[in-house]
Amino acid sequence: MVGLSEYLIVAAALFSLGVIGLFLNRKNVIAILMCIELMLLAVNINLVAFSHFLNDISGQIFVFFVLTVAACEVAIGLAILVSFYRLRRSIEIEDINTLQG
Amino acid sequence: MANVTFPFPFPDHLITLLPEMIVAVLAMTLLLVDLFISKENKIWTAYMAVITIVVAAIATIQLYPVGSIEAFYGFFVFDPFAAFSKLLLFAATAISILISIDYMKDENHVGEYYVLMLFAMLGMMLMISATNFIILYLGMELMALCTYVLVGYQREVLRSNEAALKYFILGALSSGMLLYGITFLYGVSGSFDYSDVGAALHATGNASDPAVLLGLVFLLAGLAFKVSMAPFHMWTPDAYEGAPTPITAFMSVAPKVAGFVVIVRVAVDALPAMQTEYMTILTGMAILTMAIGNLAAIAQRNIKRMLAYSTVGHVGFVVLGVIAGNADGYAGILVYLSIYMVMTLGIFAIIILMRREGIQGELLDDFAGLSKVRPGYALAMGLFLFSLGGIPFLAGFWAKYAVFIAAIEAGHVYLVLYALLFSAVGAFYYIRVVKYIYFDEARVTFEFTESRVMQATVAITAVAIVALGLYPDPLMDACKAAVVGLI
Repeated sequence: MVGLSEYLIVAAALFSLGVIGLFLNRKNVIAILMCIELMLLAVNINLVAFSHFLNDISGQIFVFFVLTVAACEVAIGLAILVSFYRLRRSIEIEDINTLQG
Repeated sequence: MANVTFPFPFPDHLITLLPEMIVAVLAMTLLLVDLFISKENKIWTAYMAVITIVVAAIATIQLYPVGSIEAFYGFFVFDPFAAFSKLLLFAATAISILISIDYMKDENHVGEYYVLMLFAMLGMMLMISATNFIILYLGMELMALCTYVLVGYQREVLRSNEAALKYFILGALSSGMLLYGITFLYGVSGSFDYSDVGAALHATGNASDPAVLLGLVFLLAGLAFKVSMAPFHMWTPDAYEGAPTPITAFMSVAPKVAGFVVIVRVAVDALPAMQTEYMTILTGMAILTMAIGNLAAIAQRNIKRMLAYSTVGHVGFVVLGVIAGNADGYAGILVYLSIYMVMTLGIFAIIILMRREGIQGELLDDFAGLSKVRPGYALAMGLFLFSLGGIPFLAGFWAKYAVFIAAIEAGHVYLVLYALLFSAVGAFYYIRVVKYIYFDEARVTFEFTESRVMQATVAITAVAIVALGLYPDPLMDACKAAVVGLI
């Protein structure tokens, strides 16, 4: 029987993978966008699991909002990335280094 | 005719959303109208955006006497606290738009810029009035998505793009953390409503439940990010330096207002059962924020970067008002944010005036000898800097006074002494800029953009700083009246 805690553990693992990936990833910005998506999906698993076990629908409604906003967020992220690529001709993390202090 | 029945009753008190509706509808209309405005006349888009804000402000003032009303089944609240914060927000956005006009003339001047600012403001209005985590999240994202674009607005400038990219990545991380925190609070209480969460935590008394603590920590991390509290301030200097200067001005004021209102509401409504934990975390962050903000500002050569760290430092002082946790503390936050808004917008207006062909006017050296060429600007700049440093009998002094006194009342004497130490450090680097302006020889030839709007902004903010410094009582009373009924 899969209980609430199993879902939470999976979600926590995914969320941590997302955060770790965000900080350890040294190669490419697209991977960062994937890590962000991973974090938001972990949040969704949490919400659906709680919603199911609490017998309360509002958690699942929130999931739709999170999904929609996540799509907007990635769209804007990619747009910024494209305009960065036009100037820098690269999307390597190492090349994001003009501003320092 | 078929009898239409709604599955739920029509929401009461729809009128309390009037300011939001005005901004939403007029901003979308403006987006369409803007298509018919020629490139040379984009200044009209800016003026129409300001008119939108003025109309929304009038609606808010008209609604002010209704007191505290909840609408949409407790998703949305209109109370004096929200109304006052929204008026602050309106002022900040309107002035940011006005000081943008001349800056944007030299850029790719399109109307979307002003519309994005209106939508960012709409997001912040929703954050301020939210009493439910869903609305909070949506408002926060509306604000964040608009500001990402605004920061990266100068598409042909590398540092603007890079700032947007960094801000975006860290901003998305912070929303993820905020959401993760919210899920745990939902899991424990079964509701997204602030007051239901508060009631559930109070009833079960499971404040030491690890799930609640996890929720609290992640929620606070996400919120701390938006108001750039250390250790979540890393994005601030880069985003401030890379963004177009009017947007830097906008970002250093408006999101802080919205963020602090949310922090106060969450403390008062959602987590009263967790007061001790909430305040312990905030105290730790305040100590770190004051130190990092004020110490790192000393090392900066670029004034936008210096002001970014100075914002971090000021945020550290404002948090004292939340930690005080009494009505005076919350009123102090509003006093601080109002005065901080006036000082910051004034100083950024002067920085924008310094920009001309080839020179950004952003290095501290660029200000050397300003007093000999333009004594008026030099005097205004001096006033703003002294006020930011908290020199007595300028407005900035009363801002610090309001939160420090509230914190002492609540018994945080050592914390206030610590804050006083760092406000002295802060005064050092502000006064260093005054030294550049008054005692150094000019290294560059000054050549100012002449603009009535900008000169008026500088003059009004400078006069306001002196006036508020001499008569702070009306503002303080208004802020005290605004927090009545909050706790």
